[in-house]
Formats: sequence, C-alpha cells, structure tokens
Amino acid sequence: MSTDIWVWIAALLSLAIFSYLYKDNPVFRFAEHLFTGLSVGYMIVLMWNNYAYQYIVIPISQQRWITLIPMALGMLYLFRFVPKLQHLMLIPIAITLGIWNGWSIPVVIEADLFKQMQGTMVNTTMFQNPWDPHNGLVVGLLVVVGVVCTVLYFYFSREHRGPLKVASSVGIWFVMIGFGASFGYTVMARMSLLIGRIQFLFTEWIHLIK
Amino acid sequence: MRRQIPLMLVLVLGIFFFIQFFVPSRLSTNIYQVSLQWLILISAFAIVLAIGSLVNHHLLKIKRRREHWPYSYATLAGLVVMSLLGILGRFPGLGLLDEIYYRLYLFVQAPMDAAMFAILAFYMASASYRAFRARSKEALLLLVSGFFIMLGVIPLGALIWDRIPDIAEWIMMVPNMAAKRGILFGVGLGITATSLKIILGIERSWLGGGGK
Amino acid sequence: MRSITVIGLILLGSAAALTQPMPAAPADPAPPPVQPPGLVTAMDTPNDAGNSISVDWRPSPDEAQGLVEGYVVYRSESAEAPESLWTRVGYVPYGLNQSRDQSVPENGMDFFYRVRVVSRLGASAVSQASNPARSSEQWYNSMRTNALIASLLFVAIVVYFITMAQKGQHLFVRRIAGLSAVEEAVGRATEMGRPILFVPGLSSISDVATIAALNILGQVAKKTAEYDTPLLVPNRDPVVYTVAQEVVKEAYSEIGRPDAYNHDSVFYLTDSQMGFASGVDGIMTRERPATNFFMGMFWAESLILAETGAATGAIQIAGTDAIHQLPFFITACDYTLIGEELYAASAYLARDPKLLGTLKGQDWSKALIVLLLVAGLALSLINPGVRGFILNILTVG
Repeated sequence: MSTDIWVWIAALLSLAIFSYLYKDNPVFRFAEHLFTGLSVGYMIVLMWNNYAYQYIVIPISQQRWITLIPMALGMLYLFRFVPKLQHLMLIPIAITLGIWNGWSIPVVIEADLFKQMQGTMVNTTMFQNPWDPHNGLVVGLLVVVGVVCTVLYFYFSREHRGPLKVASSVGIWFVMIGFGASFGYTVMARMSLLIGRIQFLFTEWIHLIK
Repeated sequence: MRRQIPLMLVLVLGIFFFIQFFVPSRLSTNIYQVSLQWLILISAFAIVLAIGSLVNHHLLKIKRRREHWPYSYATLAGLVVMSLLGILGRFPGLGLLDEIYYRLYLFVQAPMDAAMFAILAFYMASASYRAFRARSKEALLLLVSGFFIMLGVIPLGALIWDRIPDIAEWIMMVPNMAAKRGILFGVGLGITATSLKIILGIERSWLGGGGK
Repeated sequence: MRSITVIGLILLGSAAALTQPMPAAPADPAPPPVQPPGLVTAMDTPNDAGNSISVDWRPSPDEAQGLVEGYVVYRSESAEAPESLWTRVGYVPYGLNQSRDQSVPENGMDFFYRVRVVSRLGASAVSQASNPARSSEQWYNSMRTNALIASLLFVAIVVYFITMAQKGQHLFVRRIAGLSAVEEAVGRATEMGRPILFVPGLSSISDVATIAALNILGQVAKKTAEYDTPLLVPNRDPVVYTVAQEVVKEAYSEIGRPDAYNHDSVFYLTDSQMGFASGVDGIMTRERPATNFFMGMFWAESLILAETGAATGAIQIAGTDAIHQLPFFITACDYTLIGEELYAASAYLARDPKLLGTLKGQDWSKALIVLLLVAGLALSLINPGVRGFILNILTVG
C-alpha cells in the first residue's frame, strides 16, 4: 500500500468516478462537482497565464496600443450584463462568425470535395491486374459505386423511389459496413485505456503488480 | 439598426476572408495571422460570461436549496481554490501555492479525467451488446463488419482463420473508404451551404431576441 | 567496393577522432573526388507571400552509384562572389534535387545559387552559379483557381434556388426520420413533465457543425417554448454558450413568449472534455430528461453520453459529421442524423423557403459531383491518359 496521501486521493477519486458504473451515488456526485470546479479553475489559470499575459499584458507593456482594439471588441461581450446595451455583444459574435464562415467555404471545397474526388478516381495500375482484391480495377469500380450510392443517399429534394431508392439503399449498406469497421477499430483501441487505469490502481496504489 | 450592424459585419468579413484564401501576398497572410490572434483575444472575454453562468447556476442552486444543492459547494470551492492557487503561485515568494496547484492538477483533476476516459471501455461493452442485438438488416451489416475488424486486429483472428486479417483490411480499404468519401462529399456541401447561409444572413437565429 | 567502405569507415572514425584534441594526428588521405551537380536553376516560388526562391539542379552523376550523401544550397548576391560571401540556405538528402530558400532577404533583388554535393566519403564539389532570380509576392494563388471556380459555381447554384424558392416555387424534402421525431419527442417530454436536454456538441464556433447544431437548437427551442417544456443546454465552449443563449432567447420571443425564457436553461459547464461528460451524465441521471439531443461535433465522449442516456430511458436524437463517433450514436440512440443530414436539419424543421432553396442547391451540387465522378470514370476506362488530366484539374495548392 502506498503511503503517499496524494496517491490515495488520486486512487479514491478514480474509484469515485468508477462508482457511477454501479449507479449515481453521493461519492460520484461529489467527484463530478469537484471535477467541474477544478477544471474550470484550471482553464482560468491557463487563460490568465498564457493568453491574458501574452496578448494583453506584454503588448501593453511594450506600448503596442493596437492590442486595445481586440480588447475593446472582446469587452463588448460584457454588455450582456447591461440590459439596454445587450445587443452590443452581437458584434464580437458577428466578427467570429464572419471570419470562420468566409474562410471555411474554399477550405472545405478543397479538402472535402477536391481531395475526395481525386481519391475516388481509378488509377492506371488497376488495369494491370483487374481482379486484385486490394488494388484491382474491379475494386476501384466498387469504390466508385459505393461513393456514388452514398452521395445519393443524401439526396434530399426527391422522394427515394425507383432507381434512387435502389442507389440510396446500396449507399446505406456501404455506410453501415463502414461504421461497423470504425466501431470495431475504436472498441479495440479503447480497451487499452481501461487497462492503463487498472494498472495504476494495482501498481501505484496497492502495489499488487510490481 | 441593432441587427443590421452584426449582419453587415458577417457579410463583409465573410466575403473578405473568402477572398483572402486566394491571395497569398504578405499583407493578406499577415491580416490572416493577426485576425486569428485577435479572435483568440476577443473570445477570451466570453469566458467571463461562461464563468459567470457557472457560478450563478450553483449560487442559485444553493440559495433555492434545490435538490443536491450541497454538492454545488464542491464546484465553487474547486473553481476558487484552483484559480487562486494557479494565479497567485506565479508571484515571487508564493511558490508553495504553485506546488499545491500542480499537485491538485496531477492527483485530483487528472486522475478523474483518466478514470472517466477509462469508463469508456465499459461503455464499449454495453455498446457492443446493443450492436449485437441488431434489430434491422442495416444494423446486422454494422455488426458483421465490426466483428471482422475486431478479430482482424488481434492475433486471435488469424488463429481462427488466416484470411480474417485480410478481410478486415479489405473492409477498411474498400467499403469503409467508399462510405467515408461519400459522407464527406455531403458534409462538405453541408458545411459550405451553412457558412453561406450565415454570411448571407439567411440563417440568423444567432442574433437573439433582444435586438428586434 | 568493400575496400572503399573500409576506407570510408576509417575516415569517418578519424573524422570523429579529430573532434578530440589529439597531439599527433596522422595526415588524412584525401577522399575520392565527387562530381559536382549539373545545371542549377533558380526561380521565384510561385503563389506565395514573397521572400522565397525555389532552386533545382541536375544531380551529381555519382548519385546513381549511391555515393552521394546530400546537397548543400548556397545563396549570394553575385555569381562571382568569393567563397566567404555564399550563405548556406539549405540542405537536402540525396534523391531530392530541389530546395526552397524561404529566407530571401529582399524581394525584387537578384540572387544567385550554388549547390555543393557532399559524398558519403566526405568529399564535396560545388556547382556553377545559377541564373539570377528575384523573389516576389503574388496577389493571386493560381493553384487555387479550381477551388475558386467551384466555390463560385456552388454559390451561384444556391443563390439561384433561393431566388426560385422566394418566388414561391414548391420545394420537396424527403422524410428524415430523426427530424420527423422531434415534434413527438418534445410532446412526450411535455406529457411526462420532464425536461429536454440539448447538447450543442463539444467544439468551438469555428466548427460549422456547431453552427448547424445551434440552428437546430433554435427550432427545438421554439417547440419547447410552444409546449412550455423545460430545456437544458449545457455548454463546453464559452462563445458557443453565448450564442446558444441568444438562439434560445430568439426562439422564445419569436413564439411570442419571451417571458417564459429562463436564463438558467442555457448554462456553461466546463471546458474539460471528460469533466463535461461527467457533468452531463449527472444531469441525465438526476434531472431525467425525457429527450436528449446530441447535435454537432463530438469526440470520444459521444459513447459515454449516448450510453448513459439510453440507460435512463430517454428518447435520443443525435446528429454529427464526426465519422468516428457516428457508429456509437447509431447503436445507442433512437435516431441519428448522419453527416449532411445534420446540416439539412434546420431547413427541414423550419420549412423556410430560403433554407429549402439552399438544400435544393446542395442537391444539385451533389448531382454534379456524381456526374463528374461517373464521367471521369468512363473517360479513364476508355482512355487511361485522361485520368492524369482530371487529376491535374483536381490538384489543390
């Protein structure tokens, strides 16, 4: 058994969190509330020491007054507490939305559309061995069929009847096989996390595993 | 007027940053860099509102003696203690506070974080159980493909049948890849359309009710 | 060949030994000479902010024999400058015969480049100076012309359908199961006298999925305002929290019940991913919402949220474009909006002609993509050479 009080605290809080798996109980409730408080406190410290210091204190101490502009814009958020001027907080929100949305249009068109189209094209090596299960022409065609049918599943402005119904059904098969693959993969990866925590309890705390 | 200014700002900035993407010049890249920095700074002030919300939520709970109100003290205490230790600990001569802050992070906050992450593994089991009760043809597909992948990534799979790792890889590279691409096309168009709706002011619920 | 290696090892050994002060080092035999790189070409790096010149060269003929270790690139203001005035600006290992000098001190001024080959045995030889080159900044990235055309085309299609919709043209939308269930889900909560939980994802406002989630929140809040059902909206991002609050306020005043809006219904929880998950778990077990909405961007916590919610017996409607989290929502939730369905949701729920017009525009763009994929495939099958051409068009920079 460890004699370090901090290790005991860590172990008991880990168990407090785990206790939720049985059911909600006072110990979990305490841990959960403490977790919220501490993590927000931690965020405040990070913001203060990193951002406030780097982007406000340093520039002002170096008399780079331009930093007052974003500060003033940020402070408009605080008008939330002034009932008559509440609408001023929409200005920083509008700035944030404008910048991100303007920028996202071409970025997404490049990353999600062009790159995916490029990836879907059959390549010339596929012709050499058409039946190769990994890189043959048949597989290449199967990928194109899968992509096209999946895209058609998302066609909203027409009733899914006739050929569109067939295509969208094939599309959802592909989607489900893909989700199964991703599910299986993640399940295996997450197991290692649990093993890590159990190892801590048994090695650091009660020294069962050496 | 109260709505016009934010709407104009979104439109003008949206168009400006759309164009900025195509302009590689020094001025343009500098504007982009500075805007990102400014955005961080502007958003930092929203944290004040967020903390206000959290504190207010718990103070109200305590004041009105709502169910489970005593736990709110744990949140408030955690917040106050952690932030004071972290900020004051930086001052000369107060290194002890910084030491306690560091320990609180390492032995109180981080273990809870890790434990919560570890709980995921238990939920994986219940999620797998749910998946195994496949209620439809589509769910069955998910189950079968998930099963092959799980077997495919562990040595046991190859022991059962030496083709299983191959099948798992094929599922990842062919149907999984096709589905992913198909979804991404839709997502790409969805994102672009949503951004466009915000810039053009078609979607304006973010303006809130107060400014009419 | 082996003897060369042996000599090389000895030389390397002695080179290492030289770094130690040694009273009487034997004189080094000169390593076998290496042939210098061929023609060196320098040009302004295209589509950039300036202060950069791209250099390429013909490899040293010895590279084919595997004798070359790498190339050192030098810059100078004059082709005939003495050795001391050539500044080292880069090193690339063998096999790569190009380099980019990102530290050009001035735009619009001539600079020359030389490339020194270094052999594995320690010999080196320098090339002739390159042609003069000037760096400059560009005001248009020509590599992005394809993205510009595609973006403008998309905007044009969407704006066209919005105009058509405004003129009163009827626009059909197919049933989306998860969204048809919203009304029923809110009704159920009202009957049971329990709240509705809406989590607008864990990402920031820079994620468009968050914006889509907030648009759905607006529609859901209108329904809760109508039925007078309590609404709980926990947040992880401070900016998202402020916007979510405005969205809910707007919904209540649009329904004509601004007085029913409760300030505390949209609240901030914590920035910590797992702290947020444990907090929402607590809310789900203690407040027992009848319906849970998980919309927007999620990471690993998706499973914790969805499994807890399923255990409490709530109706769950999820929607995300996070491909890796979708399988967990699908297994644990009653309805799941997959990818683009998340973005289509606000149009579906609001039935606003402008929003439906946008959706129609998205569909036409999808049809265009399918057409391009199929045409590209057909052309590549007929003539594999076309493939290179198509890939070229799709290359982004």
